[in-house]
Order: sequence, then structure tokens, then C-alpha cells
Amino acid sequence: MTAAVELEKVTKRFGDFTAVDALDLTVGQGEFFSLLGPSGCGKTTTLRLIAGFETPTEGAVRLDGEDVAKVPPYRRHVNTVFQSYALFDHLCVEDNVAFGLRRQKVPKAEVGRRVAEALELVALHERARSRPHQLSGGQRQRVALARALVNRPSVLLLDEPLGALDLQLRKQMQIELKRIQREVGITFIYVTHDQEEALAMSDRIAVMHDGVVQQLGPPEEIYEQPVKAFVAGFIGISNLLPATVENGGVRLATGGLIPAPVPQGLPDGTEVQLSIRPEKLWIDELEDGMAAVEGVVAERVYLGTTTQLIVELTPGSRLVALEQNTSRARADDRWELGDRVRVGWRPEHAQVLR
Amino acid sequence: MRGGYDRPRFLWLVTALTYAFLFAPIAVVVLFSFNGEKSLQVLDGLSFRWYEAFWNDDELRESLMASIQIAAITTVVSTVIGTALALGVIRSRGKTGSWLGILLLIPLVTPEIVAGVSAFVLFAQLGVHLSLTTIILAHITFSISYVVVVVRGRLATMGTDREEAALDLGATPWQAVRLVTLPALWPAILAAAMIVFALSFDDFVLSFFTTGETPQPLPVRIYSALRFGISPTINAVGTVMMLVSALFIGLAVALPRLLGRQESGMAVLTGRSE
Repeated sequence: MTAAVELEKVTKRFGDFTAVDALDLTVGQGEFFSLLGPSGCGKTTTLRLIAGFETPTEGAVRLDGEDVAKVPPYRRHVNTVFQSYALFDHLCVEDNVAFGLRRQKVPKAEVGRRVAEALELVALHERARSRPHQLSGGQRQRVALARALVNRPSVLLLDEPLGALDLQLRKQMQIELKRIQREVGITFIYVTHDQEEALAMSDRIAVMHDGVVQQLGPPEEIYEQPVKAFVAGFIGISNLLPATVENGGVRLATGGLIPAPVPQGLPDGTEVQLSIRPEKLWIDELEDGMAAVEGVVAERVYLGTTTQLIVELTPGSRLVALEQNTSRARADDRWELGDRVRVGWRPEHAQVLR
Repeated sequence: MRGGYDRPRFLWLVTALTYAFLFAPIAVVVLFSFNGEKSLQVLDGLSFRWYEAFWNDDELRESLMASIQIAAITTVVSTVIGTALALGVIRSRGKTGSWLGILLLIPLVTPEIVAGVSAFVLFAQLGVHLSLTTIILAHITFSISYVVVVVRGRLATMGTDREEAALDLGATPWQAVRLVTLPALWPAILAAAMIVFALSFDDFVLSFFTTGETPQPLPVRIYSALRFGISPTINAVGTVMMLVSALFIGLAVALPRLLGRQESGMAVLTGRSE
């Protein structure tokens, strides 16, 4: 099967600034694909290159196998949901959604039927006659979605579509978007800077930084096995400990030789960073074979379902640990500030990053 | 309701005095236009005799019609050209765009007397016979800049998202402008048109240098009439002119709102969102 979207060595420069740098990307049919990164990382520019609002300085963009270098946005079979929604304020909801179909000269009866279907899909059929300014933010967002989906594009591009919504609504819409994508089976390319959002919805995630994909893979892989310090730091909280490779394990800069999954081919003495997720850390009561360090409890932050402990190994070198507040255990009952503790983890839960 | 707390009462007085200062000359004109006597100093009785005199004066009436005609044609032509220009300037990237934008401000800051003399010299050199057409041409020169400034301001706050959304949904660039950009710009375009009408209608300096023999636009006509002594008819003419101008400024503010837009013309003119 041909890829829905294929970018080959795509570079986009604005004057001296390189927004996207020799990017290779293949998105499969029906995939929920996220471009994740901080602002200025090139994710929105990538989206605009696919939509046709920007032309690549170098490289090729292919949609369904066809090179679209010379195809303007209005002849590309992709549609976009804009961050600002970009609804047409002078048209009612129904006319907004029908806009694309009317440009394609779809017969009137079919327009009516498909618009009704699309509004049904986003649960807005009762607001068909409303003007955009009469709707709430969440409703406007759904109109933007319906307006794009009704054209049955081969790829739907979403540019931080939930960015303007409050947290509750955002969580709700994440589930809703995932459901809609499953139902319509269209390829989604989703741009976001919110790692939780990307983790929650995507089949695959490309983490971008400085116009380059830093890591590409399914959410679990991105989170559990970051290959670069940037990815480890950007996705969730990560403890990064400077270390050097020694004897198949690593020697921490704070002292202590510990077992670690050192990638093949890294000679002794190579400077690396050890990345460990806070929830993988154990405190005291350790098991055999764990990597362990010692420190002092420096901060304790109660977060509801979890308690965050900050353990200072040496001055300036700290580890963040998350303890579940289950019915059996609450971290603030067990450790006081200033307590000396042993922090450990299973060697396979740490990543050795260059 | 008294806003805030401990707001000094004398501020009311200052405000009242400022407004009195602003409106005193206008009040005099309006008041004396209803004077029963032929005096410019003493008010005596109430009458519409000066309005009648205005209406029965063929030359004044002709001038009024000429002024309306000039303003109407100026408005239509400069609104069309100015809107097109605003779209072009805002969409041109880089240095060209900003230079085009800056150049457009020059007609606004050129002293009108300079613009008037230049227009006069230019027409003379080209051997153009001065008439209503030459006045209209002169008025269009500065009016286009007004339209561009107002429309471009609106375009800048609108951004390009909606237009891109239209392209994204299969509209050609021309359809995007016609179906999406222009409808969204409508309040600003109308407001600009009304302002231009008011400005053209009461313009004196440019008209003075570019007018032919007859018919002369109303402000020039009033000025010529003064040479034969001040008649109270001037007060009536002045009041009518003011009403026309106020009507169009009022329309500039109210029309966008009457047409059911979300924002009023006031927001368009002052660039403030409500």
C-alpha cells in the first residue's frame, strides 16, 4: 500500500532560518500520527508543507504516492483543522461545513446529506443554523473538525486543535478525536506541543527539535526508551544523570559503579547520560540486582494520586521520584525531609543516552 | 453611577469646559441659522428663513448637488481601488510590502495646500480644463490612502487563517477573496467609504485649487460668497453641511452593527475590540 504522506529530504528555509532540515517522514494509511515538539521546532511548518501553504526549498512531498510540488492547496486532497479554527463568521455552521463540498460542485442533495452526517458525527446537528460567534470554544472546534472531515480528505491535518480549550474539555476532546478517527478511518497528522496529548492519541509520534526528527515510534517506545536526552527531557519528567561507561555498566559523576543497559559499541570512558523515569524509582526496600544510589530527601510534594520526592545525591545532583499514594502507602507518612534513603531501579528501566 | 472611588469632582468641571470649548463655534452656527433677524450678533425669534434662502438660491443648491456628486464618485472609486491596494500591500512579503505601505501614508501627511497647488500645476501643464472631474481626481488621490489605512488595519487583525482555510477547502484564490475575505472585511470597507464621503464632502483646499467656474463645490462656493459680505444664509448652509458630514460619520460607526456584524464600526475605526 502506498504511504498517505511521504516527505523525502524536505528542507524549508525562511531567509537564514532553517525551519525544517532534510526531513524524511512516511505516514501510513489510516494512521494517527503526531508531530510533537516545542514551539519553533518546525512541526507547524511541516504541516503547512503538506497542506501546500508552503513550498519546500528542497526535497519532495508526496501524497498517496504523487509528487505535489506543483499542486496548490486548493487542489490537494488534504484538509486542515486550524489552531484558531478559522471559521467563516459570516456563514452559519451548516454553510461553514458545506463550504468545501460546494467548491467541489457536489450535487445539492448530497451536500445536505453529508453536512448533516458530519454535524451528527461531532454532535452539533442541533446548532446547524447558529453563527460561529454564538458557539462555545469547544463547539467551534467541532465545527472546524466537521468542516474538514466532510470532504473525506485522504489526510486530515490538525494544528494544535485543542490548544485553546481548557484542560477538562481538552481531555474530553482527545477521546472524541480518537473515536472519530477510528470511525472515519482517515489518516490524521496531529501537531502538538503537549506530550500527554500525543501519548494519549497517537499510533506513532515523531518528536521534533530544530527542524529535525529526534525520535520516531509508538508512544510507549518514545516514553520508555528515549534515544536522546532531548526526548527524555521533553516527554514527561526524566532524571538525567551524567556518567561514563565502565565495564559494561556506568560510573555516575556522583560516584558509584552501577549496572546499566549500555548500547553495543560504546567503549569505556564514553561520556553518557543516564535517564530514568521518576515512577520507575524505588525508595528503600530495594530488590536484588537493582542499581542503587544514596541521598537525602530534600523536598516532598503531595500531588493527590502521587507524592513527588526529591532526593539529593550530592549538592546540585537531584533525583525526582514518584510514589503512588495507594491505600497501603503514602509517601509523606513514610519519609520525612532530611531522611537518608536508598534510591534504586531495575537496570533495564534506565536508558543510556549519548 | 459613579465609577471608581475618590475620583475628584473637579474632573467633571474640566470635562464640561472642554466640551463647551469644542462645541461653542458649532453651536453658534446652528443657533444663528434659525435666527429670525438678519443679524450675526443678536438672536431674535426663530425661523427657517435662511434655510429657505439657501434652497431658493440656485447657485447654492447647484453647489450642494455638485458636492454630493463629487463625494459619491470619490467614495466609490477610492473604496474599490483602496480595498484592492490594501489586499495587495498586506499580502506582499518582505521589504516591497512595507515600502508600499509607507509610501501610501505620504498623501495623508502632505500639507493639503501643497497637494492643492501641485494638482493645480499638474492640470495646468497637462492642459486639462478644470471641472468637477479634476476635483474628483484630486479627492481620490488622498481618499485612497484613507481606505488603505482602515482596510489594511482590519486585514492585519484578521490574519491569513480564514483565507488559508478557504484555499484548504478547495476555493481558488479568487474565490477565497470573494467568498471569505471580502465578507469579513465588509464593516471596515463600509466605514472607510463613509469617512471618505465625509472628508470629500467638506474638503475646501484641494477643491479650491482644482475647481472650474461652475458649478463649484459648496465649501468653495461659501468662500466666494464671503467676498460679498456675510449673509446669515451661510449659517444654514454650514448647518446642513455639518449634518451631512455627521450623518456619514454616524453611518461609518453604525452601519457595520446594523448589518449584524459582531463588531461595530467604532471598533473598526478606533481599532479597539469590544
